[in-house]
Amino acid sequence: MTNSISRRQFLGTTAATALATATPFSGAFAGTGDLSVWKFGGTPTEVEQWAARNEAFTADNPDINLNYSYFNGQIRRQKILAGFQTRRLADVIIAFGQDIPEFVGFDMVQPLDDIAADKIDGWKDRLVPEVMNSGMHDGKLYGLPTYVDMASFLAVNLDALEEAGFDRPPATWSELREYAKAMTKPGRPGLAFPATTAPVDINIFEGIAYANGGRIFDEESGKVTLDDPGVVDALQLYVDLIADGSTPAATSLTETFFRDTAQLFGQGRSAMWIGLSWLNTPWGVSEDVRWTGVPMPRPDTASGSFAPVNAIMDPTAILMVSSRAKNPEAAVEYLDFWSQNEQLEIWGGQPEVARIPAGKAAWDNEELAEVWPNWVEAYNEGSLFEGAAPMPRFIGVSAIESALGTAIQQAVLGQKTPLEALTEATKAAQTQIDLIRG
Amino acid sequence: MQNDRLLAYFMILPVVIAVLAFVIGPTYNVGTLSLTKIVMGQERGFGTFSNFTALTADPVFWLVLKNTAIWILGGTLLCVLVGLGVGAFLSVDSRLTTGLRALILLPWVLPDVVTAMAWKWMLHGQVGIIGQTLETTGLTEETISFLGDPNLVMWTLVVVLIWRKMPLVALILCAAIRSVPDDQIEAARMDGATAFERFRFVVIPNIAFSLTAVTVISMIWITAEFALPWIMTGGGPANSSQIMATYIYQQSFEFFNWGIASAMSVINLVMLASIVALYLYINRRSWASEGSK
Repeated sequence: MTNSISRRQFLGTTAATALATATPFSGAFAGTGDLSVWKFGGTPTEVEQWAARNEAFTADNPDINLNYSYFNGQIRRQKILAGFQTRRLADVIIAFGQDIPEFVGFDMVQPLDDIAADKIDGWKDRLVPEVMNSGMHDGKLYGLPTYVDMASFLAVNLDALEEAGFDRPPATWSELREYAKAMTKPGRPGLAFPATTAPVDINIFEGIAYANGGRIFDEESGKVTLDDPGVVDALQLYVDLIADGSTPAATSLTETFFRDTAQLFGQGRSAMWIGLSWLNTPWGVSEDVRWTGVPMPRPDTASGSFAPVNAIMDPTAILMVSSRAKNPEAAVEYLDFWSQNEQLEIWGGQPEVARIPAGKAAWDNEELAEVWPNWVEAYNEGSLFEGAAPMPRFIGVSAIESALGTAIQQAVLGQKTPLEALTEATKAAQTQIDLIRG
Repeated sequence: MQNDRLLAYFMILPVVIAVLAFVIGPTYNVGTLSLTKIVMGQERGFGTFSNFTALTADPVFWLVLKNTAIWILGGTLLCVLVGLGVGAFLSVDSRLTTGLRALILLPWVLPDVVTAMAWKWMLHGQVGIIGQTLETTGLTEETISFLGDPNLVMWTLVVVLIWRKMPLVALILCAAIRSVPDDQIEAARMDGATAFERFRFVVIPNIAFSLTAVTVISMIWITAEFALPWIMTGGGPANSSQIMATYIYQQSFEFFNWGIASAMSVINLVMLASIVALYLYINRRSWASEGSK
């Protein structure tokens, strides 16, 4: 007996093997009942809780095979875009409200009015209207928000405040400069703010600029407005605080992003820091640091060309349904599940206290009132969202925010004056916007 | 005979398909995109050089070119020079060098992300151990923000890059140096050649093939390196460390300007191919003679 094989046998066997190998894959795409979900960003507690509630969803919906993945929030655009291009986008995307216009522009997500009309009334009943509206774009609902973050806020070390002889946090920009200077001591600057190009750091600055009547883009005219006095003067505040000697070295501000700034504050390495509404709640502080969070001090006189806002807000865990969802019915079920009080309650106190809840019922939670009494009081008075505007959201927002980020760093580092840096950024961003908008 | 040839073609077919699908295909696609005005996934005309003209009008692009030159040329030159020095040291037989030959690979085996995060913290202006050590030993008056200072950031990245890439270069060159015939070195010594002269006129010509290969490979590695600069600085501060790889990524995935990103990729490819071709041309004699052995 020989082990020889003829050429014809070889070719035949190889072809048959290849066919047999490929056959099972052709049937694998025909499955039904699968639901893929991508979630981007979130505090450590939230990430844990979200996964735990997913188990409840699976128990309630045994016919739906939930395939849930979590990713870092900073890479969401890249991941989602790559998924869209390769036709591997998840059925449900949980991303930021700021993303909606661009995702709609790409036809990545679909209006919920078309696929969940019978559920929307229930959602409206359970969600705070202002928060629910943050899922709207061009008159259509594209996302179900679970909470919002607001900008900008100030974390204050109470011991440092008292040591410097103050009995209340600063309320105006000039007071902020005075307080920051007085609270500075060797090895502990009075105030820190993040000035990297991370989107959250830019959002923090935008909160200050919008409160001063600034805007980064005028949708009516299609013009970039980074050189508006409201934005320029807000950046001048950053520069003045550095010039006062009240902050860490400028070079350190440009390498320390929001989370690291929060941790330095939590370790008592700065007396105040400027952040989003959650401030230090996701990470906590050292036991010997007594602190409180207050709204960012207001400009003494708003100098911008637009109406000053009290805050800007964005739903940073908003559920959207992909335009290529293979199982839209299951996707809507998933959204409806997350619109229920049991799920929205996650942000109503324990276990998560870092966010501004979307669920009406969550505001009745005693723990929330204990941790954030001012929020609850303002909500009950109906003034929490008064004067608040959405965070910048339009097609091309990332191009403008990127130019703004560079301008902030140039001014902070003293390479250019705020006006020079923002004028240059306006020009660069306008070129991008014109390109994008044709 | 004819059938044998057909079988041979059939056998290499999978590799040909793979190369077409994963190398030629994407390269062609990038070339096509670079000549297409495409924004936010919408095509607005093919057969235009508008992406290239837009790049020349972008002030950041010229800064990116300068930074990329520091990154690729500075990185490659220092990586090979340091690698050559370390490789020469490791080629000497001793207990110390035997141990070091294994240990030196540690930076190479660490994941990019871990390396980048660890260095980012060590170099941090407020809490970084490097700045604090320099300050406490009196070498600097205050801590230095290596990654936050526009004048330092690019060269700091190059240092980290060398730390990461140099070990393999050193090991390859160490192996090449150890393969230099002893009789040649001994003959040079007997003729009165100094240590430097033996290295310059005996060792270097003998390892020219490896040196050329390792230089070209390092250049390609460094050009393709993305994670390290992106995680450590994100191109900042104020674009001071923005290089081709990071700017292409930013244009593609943050601004969705695929046409411009593709144009930059084409420029990157042409630049790299030109530098490699020039380098191979300059070293053609040693390359050819060693390669034919």
